[in-house]
Amino acid sequence: MSRLLLKNREAQDGINGHLKQNYAQQGRYDEDANQEGILWLVSSGDLPEVVRKLREDSSLAMDRLADLSAYDNVDGVDGAGRFVFFIHLYSSKFHSRMRIKCLIAEGEEVPTLTGIWPMANWLERECFDMFGIRFRGHPDMRRILMDERFEGHPLRKEYGLEARQQFSDSLPIRMVTENEVSK
Amino acid sequence: MSKDGSSAVFPLTLEYAVRWARKNSLWPMPYGTSCCGIELMSTLSSTYDLARFGAEVVRFSPRQADLLLVAGTITTKMGPVLRQVYDQMCEPKWVIAMGACSSSGGIFNTYSVLQGIDEIMPVDIYVPGCPPIPEGLIYAIMRLQDTIEKGLPRPKAERLTPEQARNAMSYREVITDSIFKDPSKSSLEESLAQSAAPEAAKTKSSHSTKEG
Repeated sequence: MSRLLLKNREAQDGINGHLKQNYAQQGRYDEDANQEGILWLVSSGDLPEVVRKLREDSSLAMDRLADLSAYDNVDGVDGAGRFVFFIHLYSSKFHSRMRIKCLIAEGEEVPTLTGIWPMANWLERECFDMFGIRFRGHPDMRRILMDERFEGHPLRKEYGLEARQQFSDSLPIRMVTENEVSK
Repeated sequence: MSKDGSSAVFPLTLEYAVRWARKNSLWPMPYGTSCCGIELMSTLSSTYDLARFGAEVVRFSPRQADLLLVAGTITTKMGPVLRQVYDQMCEPKWVIAMGACSSSGGIFNTYSVLQGIDEIMPVDIYVPGCPPIPEGLIYAIMRLQDTIEKGLPRPKAERLTPEQARNAMSYREVITDSIFKDPSKSSLEESLAQSAAPEAAKTKSSHSTKEG
């Protein structure tokens, strides 16, 4: 094993140990085959608080939101909950990554992360577009990829793979007015 | 007038001269949405040099173009945009569907991808491949030039039969033969007409009468 890899593993072990020690009260802590950590939150309401804590923690410094999405858990493989909502975090200081996952029910609202990372805006819109998960406090909860007239959420398992909805014209580009932005 | 200054007469009709001029000055509008666009750029560059066929003046405004080159996956959301680009082009205009995605949706049989641009506009030439090699695109443009020179009618906006689509995977078999050969003498045409749906056979016979 190369020296660098060994060093990285040791660093990752240290991070995992720190996470286990200090973040156990919010949820269960797992490691995957690559030693990267997964923090399973009990309640999605804790999300902004935990994320802020991870970012400000000087021994983690999870300062970058790498990804935010969800997957359909309709078969219940990962527990009781319709969707598994997840975010990927990256620390540009320690070059380490971790995931936060949370089981959420159908129709449950997840608190937005736009106050912490402005880039969460579009990722949350995509998550809403594909799965129908709404985000509490999001400044502009509209579809982002599919047409505004599209019905349903295509990455849900019950949505047909080949169920195309075609529209004869494209909507004109328009600016969103202040009234349309839901507070 | 000849080069040495003496007068010269070319015995041809004006109609033929117009067709000849159109054939050799196709101005393409590139609509590259994915990897086919890279092959399209390669075709236009110096190695393959599409200028040899008079189609190098790429126009990024549909109003100045007469050949729409659709190279790549078209999503259902992009469909109306592409149709608008097509509508903005002045007559006469032609369309080449380059690659599997724009011809049939390719591997993307999903909720978001248009299954071939022939669902929204008539297509003159389909280029098979994923992506097609530049020679394939050049071949398609040469065949399009042949149809322009002969003044053949544009195809209607209807889909290929499965049989025709299968045979289209060899460049020479369908693209050339079905258009340019005498249908009565082609064994391929006969086999196509027998196996294809009745309405496809009807359109084929109407094409052949126009040719004759």
